[in-house]
Amino acid sequence: MERSIYIFKKALLFIALIFSSKMLQAQDSKSFQLNFEPIFNNQVLVLNDSFYHIDNNDSVRFSKLKFYISSIKFYNNNKLVFAEKNSYHLVDASNSKTLYININKPFGTKFNSIKFNLGIDSITNVKGVLGGELDPTKGMYWTWHSGYINFKLEGTSNLCNTRNSVFEFHLGGFAAPYNCLQTIQLSLSNITTATVLVDVNKFLSQINLANTNAIMTPSKQAVELAKQATKMFIIK
Amino acid sequence: MKKLFVILCLITFAVAFKSINDELFYIPKNFPQPVYDFTNNPLSKEKVELGKTLFYDPILSKDNTISCSSCHLSYTAFTHTDHDLSHGIENRIGTRNAPSLANLAWSKIFMWDGAVHHLDMQALAPISNHDEMDETIANVVFKLQQSKKYRKLFYAAFNDSLITGEHTLKSISQFMLTLVSANSKYDKVMRKEANISFNEYEAKGYELFKTNCASCHKEPLFTNNEFENNGLEPDKFLNDGGRIKITKKAEDSLKFKVPSLRNVELSYPYMHDGRFKSLQMVLFHYTESVYQSPTLSHQLKNKMVLSENDKINIIAFLRTLTDEEFLQNKKFQPNQY
Ligand code: HEC
Ligand code: HEC
Repeated sequence: MERSIYIFKKALLFIALIFSSKMLQAQDSKSFQLNFEPIFNNQVLVLNDSFYHIDNNDSVRFSKLKFYISSIKFYNNNKLVFAEKNSYHLVDASNSKTLYININKPFGTKFNSIKFNLGIDSITNVKGVLGGELDPTKGMYWTWHSGYINFKLEGTSNLCNTRNSVFEFHLGGFAAPYNCLQTIQLSLSNITTATVLVDVNKFLSQINLANTNAIMTPSKQAVELAKQATKMFIIK
Repeated sequence: MKKLFVILCLITFAVAFKSINDELFYIPKNFPQPVYDFTNNPLSKEKVELGKTLFYDPILSKDNTISCSSCHLSYTAFTHTDHDLSHGIENRIGTRNAPSLANLAWSKIFMWDGAVHHLDMQALAPISNHDEMDETIANVVFKLQQSKKYRKLFYAAFNDSLITGEHTLKSISQFMLTLVSANSKYDKVMRKEANISFNEYEAKGYELFKTNCASCHKEPLFTNNEFENNGLEPDKFLNDGGRIKITKKAEDSLKFKVPSLRNVELSYPYMHDGRFKSLQMVLFHYTESVYQSPTLSHQLKNKMVLSENDKINIIAFLRTLTDEEFLQNKKFQPNQY
């Protein structure tokens, strides 16, 4: 009897310990808010309805802007101080919830820049089917040629001599020599929040939509466009 | 206390071995280690059962008419016998011949051109191919979620009745992983079981096979898991370059994945476009009609010489790869509800 009371006491102590350490953690951890704000030049980007002017009096309309942000890391003077675990986020302009990423990080970390991938790395790509943000139902997985689509931009423009004047950029591919994954590094001035503008014009202005309006496979051109896409990301 | 220790040990032991479940999957004595990483998708009876139900259910296609088994039938080693190009919904005809499905846990890469690099991702291709099932995985998941039967099956398998793409694909993989074919006469001879041995023709055929075929159709899986050009003249209508479609490298032009020859007796017609109706025609191809092109595999650059008797013997050997237990296995067939 005495023995079982002893064990009971021990167990209670153990449970209490677990709880208190959890509470301490909760107090001690803070989060960083990373926001994305899709724009076109200086205008807010609205899908489907709005027209945006591009060179030579033509206009474009967007129906989809969707991309993966992964492997978010914080640096202090180029020294890694914190890396988010299981860091995969699908940003979708049509779903405002996805534009705000909340990152839990240890309390008191100092940093002045952030680094993340635009897309999904090759190791993750070959892991087999994954869930959550990486679930194939999210529409960011190629079905006839395995691999994640890192970035999607779709819309219409009279410049495109295609069915319904549609343009579609699906950038992806994880195998050499057509690995599309890009890394973006941005300087931060604030340790609690950052807003990253995603200026679609920075991407489109380098493309002649009359000639280039459908990229749907891993290729040299997809890699070049993925590099171009990194220029869209600017700290507000 | 001691008892507790023993129990703890047993539990650790069980957990460590749980990822490979003997009853559902085993590594035959004459096989290498599988390629599939079971730790990411440990087999369970409930998941395999769910996967099988999905495999046989036309709910996976847009108009609910075609299931995986429409093209991959258990009695014919999970291929579509007698069709050169597979048939999908609304009688649309695909561009390639359905391969047989067996020993997929040992495959590194899938499809004739290696378009799919992981078994889990395989089902996405037929589900969304316009000529096959013409459906999206998101809509499949939506349809499954509406079904009481599936909510129950998913709950039993994953402890979660919220259906996801991940769980759907993992369970389809689980069923396919259980399709192990390793009880053909060939296997029994190799494992020296119950005094089973090749007859005179089969034995001669086996020797000829080892010299002429085994560099690509490597034992015991009967594929080296590589892409090779075995000298098929390109079909002008299909214009299928094979592996080059995926890699875009000139050196991969006209290369296709070396298919396993297990149960080959039943998987006719043969080749990626089903151009040959019989094994006789396949052997005629290798000796008489190899098409010369820059990417032709080196083993076939010199003419293969086989007498008519040699060919008969090789075919006798190929027939020893038929695995009746596999073909008749009730576990692989749909449940009778
Ligand atoms: C309309 C016929 C059809 C249907 C339906 C179909 N398949 Fe297939 N399957 C094929 C064809 C054709 C190929 C070869 C395609 C290629 O290589 O391009 C194939 C290839 C495969 C392979 C690759 C085998 C290997 O060794 O490379 C697997 C695995 C497979 N199918 C499983 C499935 C599953 C699971 C389903 C149901 C979700 C399914 N198939 C539905 C016709 C079909
Ligand atoms: C250089 C490698 C190579 C050699 C040597 C070779 N094969 Fe093949 N074999 C292949 C490839 C690649 C394919 C698939 C070609 C395609 O469909 O485009 C194939 C397909 C086949 C098929 C069709 C299987 C099916 O399910 O469609 C049979 C049967 C076959 N080979 C038998 C043989 C025999 C018998 C020999 C020896 C006489 C042999 N092969 C030698 C590479 C080879």
